[in-house]
Amino acid sequence: MANLALRRLTKSYGTTEVLHGISLDVADGEFVVLVGPSGCGKSTTLRMIAGLEETTSGIIEIGGREVNNLEPKERDIAMVFQNYAIYPHMSVKKNIAFGLRSSKMPKADKEKRILEVASILDMVPLLDRKPNALSGGQRQRVAIGRAMVRDPAVFLFDEPLSNLDAQLRTQMRLEIKKLHQRVGNTIIFVTHDQVEAMTMADRIVIMKDGYIQQVGTPAEVFHKPANTFVARFIGAPSMNLLDGIWDGETITLAGDQKVRVPALQTAAGSKVLLGARADDLKAGNPNTVLSGKVMLREPLGSETLIYVDTASGEIIAKADGRTPPQVGDAVTLGADPENIHVFDAKTGEALT
Amino acid sequence: MYRNLTIRQKQIVWAWAFLAIPVLFYTVIRFYPTGNAILISFQNWNLLGSRTWAGLENYEKLWNDPVFWKVFQNTFVYLLLGTPISLVLSFIIAYHLDKLRFMHGFLRMLYFLPFMTSAVAMAWVWRWFYQDVPIGLFNNILAGFGIPQIKFLQSTTNALPAVLAPAVWAGLGFQVIIFMAGLRAIPTSYYEAAKIDGVGWWTVLTQITIPLLRPTIVFIVVFSSIGFLRIFDHVFNMTTNNPGGPLNATKPLVLMIYDTAFNGFDMGYAAAQTVVLFTILLIVSLIQLRLLRST
Repeated sequence: MANLALRRLTKSYGTTEVLHGISLDVADGEFVVLVGPSGCGKSTTLRMIAGLEETTSGIIEIGGREVNNLEPKERDIAMVFQNYAIYPHMSVKKNIAFGLRSSKMPKADKEKRILEVASILDMVPLLDRKPNALSGGQRQRVAIGRAMVRDPAVFLFDEPLSNLDAQLRTQMRLEIKKLHQRVGNTIIFVTHDQVEAMTMADRIVIMKDGYIQQVGTPAEVFHKPANTFVARFIGAPSMNLLDGIWDGETITLAGDQKVRVPALQTAAGSKVLLGARADDLKAGNPNTVLSGKVMLREPLGSETLIYVDTASGEIIAKADGRTPPQVGDAVTLGADPENIHVFDAKTGEALT
Repeated sequence: MYRNLTIRQKQIVWAWAFLAIPVLFYTVIRFYPTGNAILISFQNWNLLGSRTWAGLENYEKLWNDPVFWKVFQNTFVYLLLGTPISLVLSFIIAYHLDKLRFMHGFLRMLYFLPFMTSAVAMAWVWRWFYQDVPIGLFNNILAGFGIPQIKFLQSTTNALPAVLAPAVWAGLGFQVIIFMAGLRAIPTSYYEAAKIDGVGWWTVLTQITIPLLRPTIVFIVVFSSIGFLRIFDHVFNMTTNNPGGPLNATKPLVLMIYDTAFNGFDMGYAAAQTVVLFTILLIVSLIQLRLLRST
């Protein structure tokens, strides 16, 4: 079994604590993505799992075994780095073989294993090339190959796609996901890109300032964000958040707009934030009506994003791609009650 | 007229405008004297009289001169001992200094200090080190352990290594700095990947660090080889009473050239030696570049 567990993990550099007690359980074979803005501690967490950074306190378990004091090589992990870390003076084959250098496997078996991995990654014809004769995507695959050849319990990926161009990134995203389905090892993947997180993960861990904000499946974090940070971070465009006051039955937005929502776990008179995604705000929906003028349009082809200036604040909505409203047009938008999110204005925690 | 040129032509005009000064400089300061030296090597000239044509006479004389062959051998001993010793030493120092955080800047400065010091001053300090008891530092230490005295500068076998030591020492600082810059340029993720793959430090050193330092090593080898082939001031200052002695045991080619030119006033013969030195420098540098650049 190659499950992974983090128990109240902290990390300090001198007196500055950058991770404040992270706890996480990852099941065997699960694909977990750590996502968050830069400086949130996601890479630090990954490097601690790898054994490249020491843990200040807390426990890391891999396969039920505490690994805090084990060297990286004893942890049964493999890591793919952002800059690939493939050696420019070695051929593709030697680079992949480097992962097996310290293994006691007989030479013939090593050879077989390298070929096996190379064929999974479609790299057999490239084995004798040097890295500088490879494209970005191919280099990426060499790095993955070097990790795969060791057949580790846990794969660690540290922003492996950020050096690739947009098109290649989409392609490698699919390849890594396919690879996971094929080999089935546990994967911990770090990225700052929420699209990568949403498309690849079995479960997403959203981090900010050294704290975990929410852990859940892509659907959960998208539809049930735990707080305003997650609501804004996941999904593009960002969720609309409007200031309002809860009076016990309805929320009053700026411009005296009243919105009826199910009962909230908060005292009457408290300040709240009302959230609605651009996808859920539709022209002609009779609930939660907001009206205003279109200020700006961003055509995306199949749909057009419209920025609407309402009495309650500026909001983003999606309109049809073929017949979008013109700039200056008055529009009326509404969202179904189940698609309305309410957050505490002070703490940012979800109240629905 | 300039306005009507294409962008490419304008670039060429500017390139030549900027190149004009170095071209002029090299022609007057480098190429003209070099050509002149080659010309003089086929002539006889004592600095004051007129030059007379000598043909290959100077080169024949050189070929039959036992001192030249001794000096030729000395020069290569300086090269073949000095370059590898200073390369290995400076790499070991840089490799460890790079890992050290404590007083890093201060230690680096200490290693660099000899490079900035005048070779003459250094040679005289080392000369003092090498004296007999009770003056010399080394012999005093040896005497303290009851070891018999060593004739550092007076013995024909010891003199050359004794003169080479301060020359190696003086060059170390520079090489250490270059090596450290090379080490710093290797991305840390290479080492981290190796750590995760679980390979030992020896493998990391021989398979990752040294291959990635290849350009740095090429530079240092070529640079220090040229330095050792041209060694002069250390030898001259440590053996002033009898430059290049004892019995020409420490005499390098440059010192012989100096001797022939400014003590013997045989400019033609000195020029022939210079041409030989120039050829050796050229060949050695080309061979090294070839060897170290391949693969």
